[in-house]
Amino acid sequence: MAEVKTAKFKKASSQAVSDPKLQNTLEHVMGHFIEARAGAIEEFGDESWDQMRERASSIKKHALENLDYYLDLIDRTIQKNGGHVHFAKDTQEANRIVLDIAKKAEAKRVIKSKSMVSEEMGLNKALEKAGIEPVETDLGEYIIQLADEPPFHIIAPAMHKTKQEVSELFQDWLRTAPTQDIKQLCIIARDALREKFSTADIGVSGANFVVAETGTVVLVTNEGNGRMTTSTPKIHIAVSGIEKVLPAIEDVGLFLRLLPRSATGQRITSYNTFVSGPKFSTDEDGPEEFHLIMVDNGRLNLMRDPEFREALKCIRCGACLNTCPIYRKVGGHSYGWVYPGPIGAVITPVLTNIKQSKDLPYASTLCGACRDVCPVKIDIPKLLLKLRHMAVEGDSSQRSVSWIERLMIGQWRKTVSTRSSIERATNLARFLQVVVTKKGIIRNLPLPLISGWTKSRDFPALAPKSFAQLWQEKFSEETDG
Amino acid sequence: MVEKETKTDKSDFLQLVREAIGRKTPLLYAPDYPPLKSNYTRQQEKVRTITAKNLARKSKILDQLIENASFAGWNVHRVSDHESAAEKIGEIAASVKAKLAVRTTETILKSVNVDGALRSKKVTPVVLASGRYRSKSDLKEVAFKADLGISGVSFAIAETASCVLIPRKGVARLTSLAPPVFVAIVQADQVLENLDDYFAMVRLQFQKTRGRYPNYTNFVSGPSRTADIEQTLTIGVHGPGIVHMVLVG
Amino acid sequence: MCVTCLVDQFFPEVGIATVNSLRKAGVDVDFPSDQTCCGQIAFNGGFQSEAKKIAERFLDIFEGESYVVVPSGSCASMIKVYYLELFQDDPVLLERAQKLSERTHELSEFLVNVAGHQNIDASYHAKVTYHDACHLLRELGISDEPRELMKSVEGLELSEMQDSDRCCGFGGLFSVKYPEISKAILEEKLRNIESSGADILVANDCGCLMHIRGAMSRQGMKQEAMHIAQLLSPDADRS
Ligand code: SF4
Repeated sequence: MAEVKTAKFKKASSQAVSDPKLQNTLEHVMGHFIEARAGAIEEFGDESWDQMRERASSIKKHALENLDYYLDLIDRTIQKNGGHVHFAKDTQEANRIVLDIAKKAEAKRVIKSKSMVSEEMGLNKALEKAGIEPVETDLGEYIIQLADEPPFHIIAPAMHKTKQEVSELFQDWLRTAPTQDIKQLCIIARDALREKFSTADIGVSGANFVVAETGTVVLVTNEGNGRMTTSTPKIHIAVSGIEKVLPAIEDVGLFLRLLPRSATGQRITSYNTFVSGPKFSTDEDGPEEFHLIMVDNGRLNLMRDPEFREALKCIRCGACLNTCPIYRKVGGHSYGWVYPGPIGAVITPVLTNIKQSKDLPYASTLCGACRDVCPVKIDIPKLLLKLRHMAVEGDSSQRSVSWIERLMIGQWRKTVSTRSSIERATNLARFLQVVVTKKGIIRNLPLPLISGWTKSRDFPALAPKSFAQLWQEKFSEETDG
Repeated sequence: MVEKETKTDKSDFLQLVREAIGRKTPLLYAPDYPPLKSNYTRQQEKVRTITAKNLARKSKILDQLIENASFAGWNVHRVSDHESAAEKIGEIAASVKAKLAVRTTETILKSVNVDGALRSKKVTPVVLASGRYRSKSDLKEVAFKADLGISGVSFAIAETASCVLIPRKGVARLTSLAPPVFVAIVQADQVLENLDDYFAMVRLQFQKTRGRYPNYTNFVSGPSRTADIEQTLTIGVHGPGIVHMVLVG
Repeated sequence: MCVTCLVDQFFPEVGIATVNSLRKAGVDVDFPSDQTCCGQIAFNGGFQSEAKKIAERFLDIFEGESYVVVPSGSCASMIKVYYLELFQDDPVLLERAQKLSERTHELSEFLVNVAGHQNIDASYHAKVTYHDACHLLRELGISDEPRELMKSVEGLELSEMQDSDRCCGFGGLFSVKYPEISKAILEEKLRNIESSGADILVANDCGCLMHIRGAMSRQGMKQEAMHIAQLLSPDADRS
């Protein structure tokens, strides 16, 4: 499995917020995504867009509640089409399935179109270890493969790289001349990858949807690398999370309306590829072998809980990332694993390690913007709250909240449990705050846990008299009388 | 064999899934899901209604296709007959200074004399088909060398400006993918109004052939594009950057 | 009326303004003097058992028939929305929470929809910009009411800022646990306030106000941050 660095959230995020170049890029790109999405959903009007989301949500819900049936149907249908379906409990198993296929075919080079599950698997590293060359062919993925970095964003993996940095990577790896022309950079990548396309033995793709009824893997792409990956090699392997299932082929239309609009703000992407098996013998070209690997890797832990199950509806559009005030500042790498942003903060802890990922559910203002844009209506704030609840009151594998916090909250609860105790406490504080207060504000509050706050903003001093006291003095007679 | 030892058995896996859902045993019947229920006759009826609707709205749908296709980056050329279609394609080939063009062998390409039009512009037409070459890599080589790809379509979808391409004998995948310029010939009666129309028809086809359904289909809905570098839209990465739609009728 | 703990201890003037604007709308105001806090801070922190105890206490104090008006979006959300979640496994408390939820209103929404006062007889001469507090907007769906109210204030000019619906980075505990991220978010908000050209930032949530005001005073900005009630009180206009 790809390395999990969620424990470093605090450090990584503070580095990110103090990197002005990154902040600039984030603001620019996120703004672009948000605007594009808003423009693309306008044609429907709020009400019918909402109805579409509702329908999509209930289709996904149904698919998940009957997932055993649909997975079986997928297997039977694809087998009938001449393909093979594999089930993998974890990433190790998934990698092994790919390697077995590759070894049998004596493969030397694997081309990949974008697949988040293969990122989970750390497939590239596994292939390299086996002496097989993996080549990412989505431009963004190719760039971060050269840079040896994980994706920064679900749908824009290299959005943090400037054209200058891309040019430098190409100079280093492809010995090309420096250029600031983005079109030229695309041509360099295209030419470098053409060679790989025509010589690769295996193509590995992800799956945006897997349709149970017809046994069809649906790919949603823009560049054409997804088509190449499923056309030029002898073998095509699609890897998918088990949650990608849609029951019926007639469900696809709705999801093709929701996904690109939510993701890039396009009405539809340039290409949609539907694969149900290997080429027919009479076909002119195409892979002779087709494999679909359905990967669990912790998803059943989400499935087991009816509330977390909601998170499996995700179609990985990235809209929640773009709108999230936190993601927009800390960027994708801070989250420490494959899936960043609000949905990452929900699923990463469960798919990897809840305790180690303790920062993720707390690094949110619960503003709810993610829930509003999600095309399948996942109530992300609710799930973050659930994870927080587990951090406080869960079992020993889940509890991560420190004793100081527990003590403080307990104390606070006692204080606010009666009016007299709160008056006592605040009167004492009023007395003490004189030391730190100037003109009704506190510029530096030297208390543990809170001092960070006053580094950049003032804290208000307690008012000379509480409202309750004022009420007594000012208003109560009038109401009594 | 090693493979056997390390692989999770399907029935074990499905049992784990089931338990996570909260069920002990497999479902006895297919889940109650309306889109999976409609039988062949009902689906046939549904498709008949769609066809009638699209016929009645034909001119509107064509207008919609043209508008959406132009917006999506297609160069749309509406022509009235096969001859002018061929002529148009010749012009396109000349305008991009093509030397080598690859094409498919659908019925429409028997009516539209593409080869003649190309030759008159000094462009060599080649049918991209596996039988013609010694090996598969030769087919790839020709496809990658070609300046232009020409193909008919199985359907077009007005809502999304999509050409639906289904590879088969005489219709190689790479024709519409490898060359930098692609020309799709769309006949007016192939145009559907929306995605749902298309998927209803596909389902009927699936039922009709008892599952012998096209194993591979592509929607091409505009030029190949990327915005992966600095969110700047760039046309033409791995697929054709220039796409033409010749709409006949 | 529930004034919320922040108003009670830090911003009593907002409480007074709330009373005044309610009275002006002809509402009979009472202040159950035992009230302390709604428990949101514990709930958001994951301390559900602690939150439950506070919430139960709240149910006791605000038992009855009268409306509960809250001058804060997030506290109103806690009471209207999250109490129901908190008590979902306890039918008796849930029913009480349900009833309380129905009786509870955020101030601006109450004034417009319940008291029927789209037009407030108030005057305040200033250019203001409005920040949509997250919970007010997204939990309660309130965005038109405060704007209507502001537009009815004589002399008040509303100049919308860019992304008024984007979070200010407060998030209660969040701003304490992750002050640097919070600050980065807040700075974008301050920029938007600045470029709206307004003199006063208005919001309906004392959490956001405390946060934004804290940064404004630290950075020496000339703008002020005020609660909407402070614009609606009869003697509010100081210009
Ligand atoms: S959670 Fe919703 S918004 Fe976020 S990526 Fe998944 S589908 Fe998109």
